[in-house]
Amino acid sequence: MNFDFSQEQQMLQDSVSRFIQDNYDLESRIKSAGSKFGFSQDHWQTMAELGWLGLPFDEADGGFGGTQIDTMLLMEQFGKGLVLEPLLASVILGGGALKRGASTELKAEILPGLIDGSRQLTLAYAEEQAHFDLHDVTTTARSDGDGFVINGHKSMVLHAATADQIVISTRTSGGQIDEKGISLFLIDADADGVKRDNFPTVDGLRASEVTLQDVTVGKDRLIGELDGGFAILNDVASDAILALSAEAVGAMEVLYKDTVDYTQQREQFDHPLADFQVLQHRMVEMFMEYEQCKSLLYRATMEAAQGSSAAQRSVHALKHLVGKAGIFIAENAVQLHGGMGMTEELRIGHYFKRMIVIDAQFGNADYHLGKFAA
Amino acid sequence: MDIELGPEDLAFREDVRSFFAENAHKAGEDYNVWRLDWFKKARDKGGWDVPKWSAEFGGPGWTPTQHYIWEQETAQATLPWDMPFGIGMIAPIIMAHGNEEQQERFLPDIRGRKVNWCQGYSEPGAGSDLAALKTKAVLSDDGTYYTVNGTKIWTTMAQIADWIFCLTRTDDSGIKQEGITFLLFPMKQEGIEVKPIITLGGAHSVNMVHFTDVKVPVENRIGAEGKGWTYAKGLLQHERTGLAGISRSIVALENLKKQASTVKRGNGSLMDEPTFRAKVAELEIDLMASEFTELRSLASASAGSAPGPESSILKLKGTEIQQRIAKLTVEAGGIYSAAWGKPVGHKFAKGGMGGYLASRAFTIYGGASEVQKDVIAKNVLGLKRSSK
Ligand SMILES: Cc1cc2nc3c(=O)[nH]c(=O)nc-3n(C[C@H](O)[C@H](O)[C@H](O)COP(=O)(O)OP(=O)(O)OC[C@H]3O[C@@H](n4cnc5c(N)ncnc54)[C@H](O)[C@@H]3O)c2cc1C
Repeated sequence: MNFDFSQEQQMLQDSVSRFIQDNYDLESRIKSAGSKFGFSQDHWQTMAELGWLGLPFDEADGGFGGTQIDTMLLMEQFGKGLVLEPLLASVILGGGALKRGASTELKAEILPGLIDGSRQLTLAYAEEQAHFDLHDVTTTARSDGDGFVINGHKSMVLHAATADQIVISTRTSGGQIDEKGISLFLIDADADGVKRDNFPTVDGLRASEVTLQDVTVGKDRLIGELDGGFAILNDVASDAILALSAEAVGAMEVLYKDTVDYTQQREQFDHPLADFQVLQHRMVEMFMEYEQCKSLLYRATMEAAQGSSAAQRSVHALKHLVGKAGIFIAENAVQLHGGMGMTEELRIGHYFKRMIVIDAQFGNADYHLGKFAA
Repeated sequence: MDIELGPEDLAFREDVRSFFAENAHKAGEDYNVWRLDWFKKARDKGGWDVPKWSAEFGGPGWTPTQHYIWEQETAQATLPWDMPFGIGMIAPIIMAHGNEEQQERFLPDIRGRKVNWCQGYSEPGAGSDLAALKTKAVLSDDGTYYTVNGTKIWTTMAQIADWIFCLTRTDDSGIKQEGITFLLFPMKQEGIEVKPIITLGGAHSVNMVHFTDVKVPVENRIGAEGKGWTYAKGLLQHERTGLAGISRSIVALENLKKQASTVKRGNGSLMDEPTFRAKVAELEIDLMASEFTELRSLASASAGSAPGPESSILKLKGTEIQQRIAKLTVEAGGIYSAAWGKPVGHKFAKGGMGGYLASRAFTIYGGASEVQKDVIAKNVLGLKRSSK
């Protein structure tokens, strides 16, 4: 048992932390979020140069051979700055699917660009009727000569507007909610028949509704086995949950610490707010929830990195706790800031909005409680 | 005790229902024309345009049960837009503490929905501790006008308001609750600057308001100089009882149930999921209790006695319930609730997030929850404040 980070991991943590401190003050973030792409192209290049976009890929594929633990360190720092750049979409989601299922040729074609930042990926998995079930898929891929023809509609595809390619889950056999019969393909985002309807999300990120009409794709673009895409999808989702939870833990830290600071500065009734016992206890509760989330994050991440069979259940537990505790912390941070917490002027509100979206991504607290209890 | 409505109350309910049905807004009808016409017709019904005003000032003089029925029915219907500050807040103050000249001058325009008011209480340094307010009003040597200087914050709808009712400091030599003076003055005049504050959903409803040498004639002072705190406290009571919104929450929860049953889960819907269903049930139970807390409070008010201890919990419970419903609506929308400015996925998901974000302010304004609990501890339970 060892909770120490290696020297390399500490260096990674330090360099991400420095990047956030130097670049991610609230004003810069708001400016970036409102820009054309919703994030900074410069930051994206910096992230590539610092090797962050290659973190989870094998050295043989040009990556750094990192594990979920390395991603956790990175994402926790990202959470402190509410980073906008599409690392989750491109590296963890799109890249994660390729890493697990793509042929050597496909990896060789796509990954170098992904790692050097010149190519951006995303994953289209959600469908309106599916609520949070990854295996509820109605988008079809019909075998046609040497390839497939895709028809359907995918929802809330993260950063699809700037993506070059999209990994998409399709039904190639079986019934609507069967795990077997799902196949993953890599399609060009600007292929004939792909329509992207882009919009911002409440947390300042970007997403798209993606409609697919007779989109043709070669069978060399199949990721994993035909009909066997679900296992990959599920593993990618687990990695995404770990990454999002790390981001959430970083954001929780900012929320509770900012609240502790603010209540010491703000005076009412001739006392700093922090003198009032009921507020002290509330902040202790926020702190406790944060620490508990961090513990469960470490647990689930270490299990996943070791390929432990307990990992799946821990991932459910983690997403449940992070959703519940994250919103508890965020709501109380707003409450304890009073009117100021309700404004766009303080960063509190922005972290609050990110927290509510994190809960809704890849299944909310209730959904994972149900999975855990099942 | 009797839980059934009597024949007269049932007849009243029918009357209210048919009034709402007959006067509902019709597609294509000019909104403002309809709005003013609606209030006029409500007035002709015998004060239905000002349900909470006393009969002396033209209100309907309803029994508590009638008020309750009205609340229930208004929650189901779509009434014309009405700003709470005029009818619900400043009017009762003017009735209770204004002089006859002021009543004649201000009440008709408030009742006619001709003038928009805003509430100038909070200041950057005076939120929960409202009595710490510093906006200064200095009486002229000849005693005819005040000169007002200072800054108010969170002033809702100041950007469209014609008038403000404002707490100012005329004396800071004694304890801070003394020396506060209640002034009314027009917003559209020199020396008043309104700066928008953008809140979480990107909306502009609150403002920072600066006063620089604003002249206010003494005729615009409510009651005596230095006694504004007493008048304002009475007003806060009005504000708080109006904020519980129990009837509206009952309707909102019914809507949420309908929406959630359109979200498919397996062979059923989200309403069949045990965790979601349990949360809805808990809300329903809390609402069943709160509805009767409200009725008990109404009954004691009508018996002429001071509001009972039960009324003190209504704002706390009511706002907490509104927040839980707002949150559950976001949860029901799933990932679609995150889409911003564009309807995506389930139809009800749009608006859910905005409503949830706005709902966070319910436990902050009109007396933040923590401070309300302090008040109950002291005034209802008779507890002393801890040394902390
Ligand atoms: C959307 C919105 C609209 C508003 N509209 C108006 C308006 O139209 N006119 C107007 O005058 N004002 C308005 N307000 C202001 C509102 O009344 C204040 O925000 C409220 O009184 C709280 O004050 P504050 O924001 O300064 O918070 P603070 O007083 O700084 O409180 C911050 C936190 O500390 C807690 N706290 C404070 N004192 C204590 C204590 N003694 N013990 C324990 N906890 C304590 C509070 O409960 C809160 O959680 C509005 C506010 C909002 C958010």
